[in-house]
Amino acid sequence: MIRYILRRILFLIPVLIGVAFCVFTLLYLTPGDPARMILGDMATENAIKEFRAKEGLDKPFLLQFGNYIYKAITQGDIGRSYITKRPVMNEIMATFPATLKLAAFAIVIAVVVGLPCGILSAIKQYSVFDTLAMIFAMIGLSMPVFWLGLLLILLFSVHLRWLPPSGFDTFKAMILPSLALSAQSISMITRMTRSSMLEVVRADYIRTARSKGQKESVVIWVHALHNALIPVVTLCGLQFGHLLAGAILTESIFAVPGVGRLMVESIKMRDYPVVQGGVLFVAVAFSVVNLLVDLLYAYIDPRIKAQYR
Amino acid sequence: MKKCSLKKCGLVLLAFAFLLGGAGVAAAKDILIVADQYDATTMDPIAHNDVPSSRACYELYDTLVFVDNEGNVSPGLAESWEFLSGTEYKFNLRKGVKFHNGDEMKAEDVQYSIMRATTDAGAKIATYSQNVKDVEIVDDYTIVVHLKLIDYSFFSSLAHSWGSVISKKATEAAGDSYGMNPVGTGPFKLVSWQKGNKYVLERFDDYWGPKPQYKTLEVRSVPEPTSRTIALETGDADIAFPIVHNDLKRVGENEKLVLYRKPQNSTAYIGFNVTKKPFDDIRVRQGIFAALDIVGIQAASYRGIGKVPGTILPSAVKYSINDEIPPHVQDVEKAKKLLEEAGVKDLKLEIWTNERKERVDSATIVQAQLEEIGIKSEIKVLEWGAYLNGLMEKTHDLFILGWVVSIPDPNFAVAGLLETSAIGASNYTFFSDTALDELLREGRSLPDGAGRQAIYKEMQLYLNEQLPMIYLHNDESIAGTQKNVKGFSPRSNEIHSFREVYFEN
Amino acid sequence: MSDYSAAAPAVTGRKSRRGLAEVLFRLRKSPLAMFGLIFILCLAFVAVFAGVLAPYPYQKQNLMHSYETPSRQFWLGTDEFGRDILSRLIYGARISLQVGFIAVGIALFVGGMLGAVAGYYGGWIDNGIMRLMDVLLSVPQTLLAIAIAASLGPGLFNLMIAVGIAAVPNYARIVRGSVLSIREMEFIEAARAVGSSDLRIILKHILPNSMAPIIVQSTLGVASAILNAAGLSFIGLGIQPPYPEWGAMLSGGRQYIRDYAHLTLYPGLAIMLTILALNFLGDGLRDALDPKLKR
Repeated sequence: MIRYILRRILFLIPVLIGVAFCVFTLLYLTPGDPARMILGDMATENAIKEFRAKEGLDKPFLLQFGNYIYKAITQGDIGRSYITKRPVMNEIMATFPATLKLAAFAIVIAVVVGLPCGILSAIKQYSVFDTLAMIFAMIGLSMPVFWLGLLLILLFSVHLRWLPPSGFDTFKAMILPSLALSAQSISMITRMTRSSMLEVVRADYIRTARSKGQKESVVIWVHALHNALIPVVTLCGLQFGHLLAGAILTESIFAVPGVGRLMVESIKMRDYPVVQGGVLFVAVAFSVVNLLVDLLYAYIDPRIKAQYR
Repeated sequence: MKKCSLKKCGLVLLAFAFLLGGAGVAAAKDILIVADQYDATTMDPIAHNDVPSSRACYELYDTLVFVDNEGNVSPGLAESWEFLSGTEYKFNLRKGVKFHNGDEMKAEDVQYSIMRATTDAGAKIATYSQNVKDVEIVDDYTIVVHLKLIDYSFFSSLAHSWGSVISKKATEAAGDSYGMNPVGTGPFKLVSWQKGNKYVLERFDDYWGPKPQYKTLEVRSVPEPTSRTIALETGDADIAFPIVHNDLKRVGENEKLVLYRKPQNSTAYIGFNVTKKPFDDIRVRQGIFAALDIVGIQAASYRGIGKVPGTILPSAVKYSINDEIPPHVQDVEKAKKLLEEAGVKDLKLEIWTNERKERVDSATIVQAQLEEIGIKSEIKVLEWGAYLNGLMEKTHDLFILGWVVSIPDPNFAVAGLLETSAIGASNYTFFSDTALDELLREGRSLPDGAGRQAIYKEMQLYLNEQLPMIYLHNDESIAGTQKNVKGFSPRSNEIHSFREVYFEN
Repeated sequence: MSDYSAAAPAVTGRKSRRGLAEVLFRLRKSPLAMFGLIFILCLAFVAVFAGVLAPYPYQKQNLMHSYETPSRQFWLGTDEFGRDILSRLIYGARISLQVGFIAVGIALFVGGMLGAVAGYYGGWIDNGIMRLMDVLLSVPQTLLAIAIAASLGPGLFNLMIAVGIAAVPNYARIVRGSVLSIREMEFIEAARAVGSSDLRIILKHILPNSMAPIIVQSTLGVASAILNAAGLSFIGLGIQPPYPEWGAMLSGGRQYIRDYAHLTLYPGLAIMLTILALNFLGDGLRDALDPKLKR
């Protein structure tokens, strides 16, 4: 198991270097000179030259990239923001808690709502509830988060005056963004729980349990659920990763000071190091969450655990 | 026993009442919450040239002199001053002024602050600092600023946030991270700053001047106009700005709120690239101007906010004749005639603008009106960085941009925009005119008075005729506050001040 | 939306050969899928004939009629310039469908070729290509699209490329999976025996036989491409303001949401219904193309 984990982590390194390379190339090709953007209209040619030299922007592309990777690996230094001059890592770490909170809230809501709906749907397959749940899940999947966000603001902030439309300092202010962000995950978890339950219910051991005369509720809640949950747990993990990254739009609607908003602002201000660092950071977070999901998967499903030795 | 308990009850009640009363006193507003549009980018006074950062710096730092809305100068960190000559200003510093870290402010700090602004670290505010030659320390409380050239506009520019006095020791210690760790002498010091969300300042109890009446100043960035107004309505914010046009009535008519409107020292304009044919021909520029219903365009894009400028100087800038020029009248026939004289036929052009909604709106209407005199145009909306870069490359035709005059001196309203020396910096029309350059030089070389006034009047009229740019809009600073917020008044350069604000119960 | 790829069937092989009729017949049994199909066909019709159907040109301003609520003159009301919202939505359908289909086209072409080559040749080619796909997959799709859009700059064409490239790995994986399972089948061996070139085998035999999962993924992919594009426009990295892209319309109207909610209501509804229709259709197609998954 430990060897497996180590192998996975080792495998992560080339992937991340690849990500760094892609992002680096993209931003390198972006029109717009960061030196002029940062120094402003009045900057002298000399100042711009010096800035380029200081930030290494005058070096050949591969050298710039190599330098970046070298520093990242040896010193954990992924550059400094052009704007605030702080290490990019500080900038990201200052915004990450908000994103993490947002994503965590959203996943909790998604599980609390999605799981029971999925189970109920499966138990009462083809019932009115099932049909409605499936249609709503589809609507949830199709709902653009930025539109849902605006509708929530319109209803809860403008008309009912219950919840604030921005600010992420209080519990109350976190409700709307989390709700908006969770909609897609609720739908996915509902759908996945339902189909997974249905599959399990047809399985042989459930038939065996039934034929042994166990109560239907025991069959459903003990035998079926336990096995049906395995893929659902995986989905939840994957969803959490997506939420971490996908919060960009939600953050910009509700003015949540998270990583997504930091990146959008940085793109607009040509603060390349922050954009690079941000994408890299999200990729790491995403990969780590995926790794954890795989491990969890192995943990709850003994059949898979055996393969990892 | 019973009596005793009664007494006890009374005591408990009394204590409870005190507690409540005490709580009541503590709950008396001791925090001012401001909803701004954007967060500050840095709190280093010379590393920015944007308004939200300048607002933060205004509370954290002091400048040698203060300038009010009307351009009147009053003593700041300098108690008095003396013009030794056109290029030498002597300042007598206030004694016993403390920095937030407890050190006393001395001549060395002032010298350091001003000279630092002349290095590349101050590239963004070079327009103000480029003329400084040296700062001489006479003694701990006396300095002399030496300029390279005579420039009477320099003095009042010291009140801009670039002239903030920073602590030499603290700045050198902080190095590159100074922008996040400011140390000034202002009435507030930085407590925490959550980038992109809010910064929290606290009253500096050793402040040399009048201390603010509340303890904590919290400035939140709320980019969505709707959210800002809601924050005001629900009482989540005490002051909110800018208020957009469709919320004016909502805030103005709300009994619990007060709406403030103040003409702003800024000019949005449609510039011509005068180095490109046919816009090098004055008749083409005048023809295009004649074809446009500027009054209609301004009204439709800005919807009741601001006004159409008459000249390049916003009304509150010294020597402005902005309000004396009769409104422009669209004259399509004249436009056609001028273009014909210039020999221009089937003209196709591009109108560039950044994403700001009102500017895109203006461009859209300009496009429609130009079509009436047979000019086909295409609008290019560019993201800010790409926009500035594109303008540097000289390929543009018409472009919409704005200019904020932070210091109400006419020199700063024109020099950075149209002087030959500003080509390569913020002169995107590439207008290079010896007559104008001469006027600007003369204007700087004269102290305030009738002579200076005459020069700037001539300059304004000259530019109206030369038309390197068509003036589109003088903006307004619009803010809303709770009714109990007193002592607040928006400033015409948008560097609103919160140090004088207090709450009325 | 990458979970769709996981849900897509691995292989169906020759079943898709039975033709369109069979698939349509199965599809007809699902009312939701039929709704989706009809909606998309109608939308395509509207998009193609936008010039005829729209009551006004999309850019036609009428400042006397700003912010009007729905009326007989303006069925869905007007925006801040007095532009007819219905007309803008109709032209917007053209843009959204274009973006959706062309982006998926790009993704399908690039991803499909990469996947086919990887699966067909195997070995280090396979390894190299798929590791590159892993790299792209480790950045969430929306973020990848944002990064690409930011570097290309705004504009319709750039938007398509950004959204398309971001979706490449999904198709590469599916096609590779299909190719791997078909590669060793007899008819491929036969083709090879008669001396067909590799390219011919890939194009003529392998790709057509991995059509089923590709069709399902593409349908759902169009949905997520439209959604991504609208999101990018919403944060200002997509289409330029004068053009009536739905996401851009939503973004432009958000300032007026309190007074004139119809400015944001209709574009949002248009996006949602389109995505919904595509999702229903995609689900229906999955069931129709792969009876094994049908319950």
